[in-house]
Amino acid sequence: MSSIIKIKNLTFSYSAEEERKTLDNVNLEIEAGQWVALIGHNGSGKSTLARCIDGLLMPESGSIEVDGLHLTEETVWDVRERIGMVFQNPDNQFVGADVEGDVAFGMENRGIPRSEMQKRVKEVLEAVDMTAFAKHEPVRLSGGQKQRVAIAGVLAVRPKIIIFDESTSMLDPEGKRDIVGLMRRLNDEENFTIISITHDIDEASLADRVIVLNDGRVIDDDVPEKIFASGDLLTKIGLDLPYPEALKEELKEKGIDVPNEYLDEEGMVDWLCRSALKN
Amino acid sequence: MPIRVEKLSYSYQAGTPMEHKALEDVSLEITDGSYTAVIGHTGSGKSTLMQHLNGLLKPTEGFLEINGRQITPETQNKELGDLRKEVGFVFQFPEAQLFEETVKKDIAFAPKNFGKSDEEAEAIAVRMAKMVDLPDEVLDKSPFELSGGQMRRVAIAGILAMEPKILVLDEPTAGLDPMGRLEMMRLFSRLHKNGMTIILVTHQMNDVADYADHALVLEHGRLIADTTPKALFSKPEWLREHHLDLPQTTKFAEKLMASGMKFDSLPLTKKELAQILADRIKGGSADE
Repeated sequence: MSSIIKIKNLTFSYSAEEERKTLDNVNLEIEAGQWVALIGHNGSGKSTLARCIDGLLMPESGSIEVDGLHLTEETVWDVRERIGMVFQNPDNQFVGADVEGDVAFGMENRGIPRSEMQKRVKEVLEAVDMTAFAKHEPVRLSGGQKQRVAIAGVLAVRPKIIIFDESTSMLDPEGKRDIVGLMRRLNDEENFTIISITHDIDEASLADRVIVLNDGRVIDDDVPEKIFASGDLLTKIGLDLPYPEALKEELKEKGIDVPNEYLDEEGMVDWLCRSALKN
Repeated sequence: MPIRVEKLSYSYQAGTPMEHKALEDVSLEITDGSYTAVIGHTGSGKSTLMQHLNGLLKPTEGFLEINGRQITPETQNKELGDLRKEVGFVFQFPEAQLFEETVKKDIAFAPKNFGKSDEEAEAIAVRMAKMVDLPDEVLDKSPFELSGGQMRRVAIAGILAMEPKILVLDEPTAGLDPMGRLEMMRLFSRLHKNGMTIILVTHQMNDVADYADHALVLEHGRLIADTTPKALFSKPEWLREHHLDLPQTTKFAEKLMASGMKFDSLPLTKKELAQILADRIKGGSADE
């Protein structure tokens, strides 16, 4: 497998007076087709990292390579062709008068011919299951539907990498499930590389790999099962645990001997039933 | 009886062909010092109902009564001004409404506006900043230099500075990280313990289970449940029918039941479930 993103010694701060760097010597490689969850509390540097990868912010030092391109002021537009970003607030991302027009906006900017645009709009609205809403006004859609439209707009310009920057945090539970399901499909079936910046531990647990940022540094980087088994670390930096792990911590406090390894829901149900029903 | 809503209906653009009924025949009561959760999907009428509580909207039919003051379709807008001192309203992303040069001035704005002297207003600001756990050193900073969580605290302190008896919170933790969320919920819990009536509009069923003692469910402008969280979450089928979530603990307990474990009633909170399980695990080993 080849790395689609290579980050070497990346350092960034918003102002020279800041004592602490927003990103402090970050080294990362992300493989093509991987789903990576980036977790950390507010201010840990997650969004700054995403913005550096997309060339929205220029690093103080270090280098970023995206799909074989070394990111510089000269290559930034080519790099952005390869990356789509979906942000937190769906309302801030609309420009078109109707759903179709909105999805086409990114393509218009790139001078894609009209017939090709029409074809792609149809394709991507189908991909996000919003064909029926093509003529609707974006403002009248639900939060989840708005995010689907934003994702369609991103897909239309055919990036290789999609970055979701807390894209589910303002949605209700149904909207959240909906968008996470779509992320999974884009990764499984369409093989997009996905970076999801999230506080939602259930969303993170679906990823192939979880990277934990704290105060601008990568403090852990592993498969979800390993990350979530190291419970104290996540709690200490202000993050949630998956429910079965949180319940385990609570039982431990009550003096119960719990297994050390990570248990998902099924595993925890099994273990509890065996322990509590053994007589 | 601080809040009584009686056969209230509200229509947007009433009397036009565009008329849209956002609330229909809603009757309810909210008692002093209670913690009420208001649940429902986007478009269910939650926000419309909340906007009646501080006089931003008046009923099209029916009436409501807040601390003895009646609001009917005929009430004049100028009679509603005082209501805003009694009912504090924290909108979504309240930090968007900060505007003053310093944190202290921002918090002091409302009391000054309602006729307090500069000194009095500042003293209130300092007290409120303490109440929401803002460190002293931020008082003379610009609110725009603070972190998102701190900015939200400033906005909430500004609302508390009006010394409301009732606090309406519309998704107050949206966009905060888990620690920020927990701290915010603990703050409201503390205000509640000090006697404030709290009305929380939320999608977070864990918060409903952990904090509320009263739950209202709206759907298509109608009140479809007026009950306790315990009773509400004991009917998972009904909730699913209405596309509403369960608290994580209740969902997990259902899975345990499917695997053969029995519960007298479905537990709501993690602590409650952990206690039941710990007793059973210990009880089990003691018998061996």
